[in-house]
Amino acid sequence: MPAQSQTAAKTNLDIDRGAHTIRLTRVFDAPRAQIFEAWTRPEDVTCWWDAAGERLAVCEIDLQPGGSFKFVTKGPPEMSFVGTYREIAPPDRLVFEAMGATGRVILQDAAGKTHMTVEIECRSAEQLDQYLKMGVDVGTSQTLDNLVAYARSRSTTVG
Amino acid sequence: MVMDRYADRLSGAFHALGDPTRRAILARLTAGEATVSQLMEPFELSQPTISKHLKVLENAGLIEGGRDAQRRPRRLAALAMKDIADWIEPFRQQWASRFDNLDAHLATKKKQET
Repeated sequence: MPAQSQTAAKTNLDIDRGAHTIRLTRVFDAPRAQIFEAWTRPEDVTCWWDAAGERLAVCEIDLQPGGSFKFVTKGPPEMSFVGTYREIAPPDRLVFEAMGATGRVILQDAAGKTHMTVEIECRSAEQLDQYLKMGVDVGTSQTLDNLVAYARSRSTTVG
Repeated sequence: MVMDRYADRLSGAFHALGDPTRRAILARLTAGEATVSQLMEPFELSQPTISKHLKVLENAGLIEGGRDAQRRPRRLAALAMKDIADWIEPFRQQWASRFDNLDAHLATKKKQET
């Protein structure tokens, strides 16, 4: 059984440029209600939001339409993710606005597991490009490596 | 001459990127232009501090003033990207790590229940 959850643990990413939407999908071996809670309760969010695996320094959630949330990683760099809830429909749908984009968490039953889709709908294709370019965490060395590669590619066109 | 100016600009950009607050400001501006007061909010920094960081980013050519001269919003300088694909994988990895954490967290909760 543990081996199976390993193989299911794959995060896919699709880009729908026409709808300027980034779509991430992942299957979890847990019921929808539990995953919905994990997205909406501070004691849960604080455990998993930071990609670096640290607990959050700040995790504030006012779970109601129009209510705000604030997640801040310990860092460095301290990265804050601040937004407003738009729709709270447990156990299958959560909609919020953050970083100038609309985020949607959609949870579907899949034979005892849960298929999760996270959509990030940007305002325009241009914003989508910017969003991807910088990543969410511009502090990662990988992003800086990309910037160096980009600067080099520009210098060769100039030279 | 052209190359020298280019090298100067590049070292300015690296200096600007060396600071975590400035990188965080750039991350915020990926969501669209923002005024100084809008930038003060998430970072909990004073206006002079934000302005100082903005000046460094501006001098490095990483950000520029927006259209509205009154509000003086700042935005990312338009970089013409040739290959967007290079940027997608780090983005996906960031979310994959986050979902791995969530997966582990759900497993811990399951264990506590039984």
